[in-house]
Amino acid sequence: MNYNEATLAYFENTPAAGVLLGPGTLRGAAGDRAHGTWVQFDLQVDAGIVQAARFLAFGCPHTIAVASWIAEHAPGGELLAALPESVAQLSERFAVPVEKRGRLLIIEDAWLACVRRGELPVHRGNH
Amino acid sequence: MSRPVYLDHAATTPVDARVAAAMARCLTAEGEFGNPASASHAFGDAAAALVETARARVAASVGAAPQEVVWTSGATEANNLAIFGVAEYYGESGRHIVTGRTEHKAVLDPCRELERRGWRVTYLAPDGGGLIQPEQVAAALQADTVLVSIMHVNNEIGVIQDIARIAAICAQHGSARLHVDAAQSAGKCPIDFANLGVDLMSLSAHKVYGPKGVGALLVSRGGGAGAGAEGRAGGRRRESVQLRARQFGGGQERGLRAGTVATHQVVGMGMAFELAREALQAEAARLAPLRERLWQGLAALGGALRNGDARHSVPHLLNVSFEGVEGESLLAAVRGRLAVSTGSACTSALREASYVLRALGRDDVLSESSLRFGLGRNTGERDIDAAVAAVGQAVSRLRRLSGV
Repeated sequence: MNYNEATLAYFENTPAAGVLLGPGTLRGAAGDRAHGTWVQFDLQVDAGIVQAARFLAFGCPHTIAVASWIAEHAPGGELLAALPESVAQLSERFAVPVEKRGRLLIIEDAWLACVRRGELPVHRGNH
Repeated sequence: MSRPVYLDHAATTPVDARVAAAMARCLTAEGEFGNPASASHAFGDAAAALVETARARVAASVGAAPQEVVWTSGATEANNLAIFGVAEYYGESGRHIVTGRTEHKAVLDPCRELERRGWRVTYLAPDGGGLIQPEQVAAALQADTVLVSIMHVNNEIGVIQDIARIAAICAQHGSARLHVDAAQSAGKCPIDFANLGVDLMSLSAHKVYGPKGVGALLVSRGGGAGAGAEGRAGGRRRESVQLRARQFGGGQERGLRAGTVATHQVVGMGMAFELAREALQAEAARLAPLRERLWQGLAALGGALRNGDARHSVPHLLNVSFEGVEGESLLAAVRGRLAVSTGSACTSALREASYVLRALGRDDVLSESSLRFGLGRNTGERDIDAAVAAVGQAVSRLRRLSGV
């Protein structure tokens, strides 16, 4: 499998990997490790603006790279029911093969799960 | 940038420099470039002499007679010639074949093709360690079984099948010829073709520091072999095996494999097999502790599962699954530092879990998260330690990323 530069960079460096803890943290996950792909986002949001984001992922290098890019670029943006870039744009940015694009939908589902937490605030803090 | 540590010797090996030199002498005007079938002049005679010397070397390295060696383009062609050759020659007397679920695709795919043509194939399931019990073969044989095809050493997990006992069972049956894919064992394990009682055996050159593109099928000519205590049928005289040829046009290789024999290729294979035979025992003794060092290092990472029965495995191969990591990411994470194979097959961009590991009972995620380490002549302790370090860092990082 060949990967483009963006995929290699984000897979190898994985900026924004990890978890966020504390009041106000929104956590959303999707997928299943037993089925090969699982993604989780943690977001800290203030006044509708994402202040910090982290991710965890079990999956192929494309999955890890895309989740990492989203978590890196989310801060500063509004908490919207949409990824910072569309699935199609992400697919192009990371040269995701068409057979793998369903995995981007799992990433999107994890993001939307976070957004839903924002609509119905649930504290998953360290307490 | 330094090259990754090469631990994929089960996939292929570099050509030994002595082998390459011998091959080169068969290519140019100063050397033996003649067509070995050209009996009308000295150039052909010289090439033919080299071909026959190579044939004798290969035969001697596996306990066969030179006239039992049929050159092919590799083990895949040898497997195809054996399976289709027997099926088509003996098709009037029977249309049933027995093989294993963990055979190489070069055996399974011809069997599937024969099924499409109306043959019945029984696929034996191995135990959790990858072994097929000889009693399973006995139970699977039917009155019209004409061929049993069981590999000697599995290419993914390295387990060694009990070929001698399977051969004895086939001999008792009478009409079931035994074909053995020995691509992964020849030159690495002691093989006595005559006394094993095997009818057909596939060999490959590039697994033992010979060139790609050449192999051989051993075709038993019968005779007094099989008389050993471990051998076939307790001294029963073996019958020669007949094959229907797959290609025509010159009658080379006793009519079984038409086409000009590639002198340089078979000379390379002959020398590679002779060198491998000379080094076999010492190399096995050297590699066994290295493989154990590798396993101990990987086991210390935690969540490492060894695939295949360690009590019945070759010293040059180790297959390990890692819990909590995804296979493609694991391979990508070690790629820059380590050349190994993974337990999955790439079909377009998606990966398919190893059918061999699934046959052993591993689930898809563990089957995909396996690495196959193939040790070879150039492998030393530093390579093993570097491999353990590379895998350890990758596994730790991916487990952290996945929240495990």
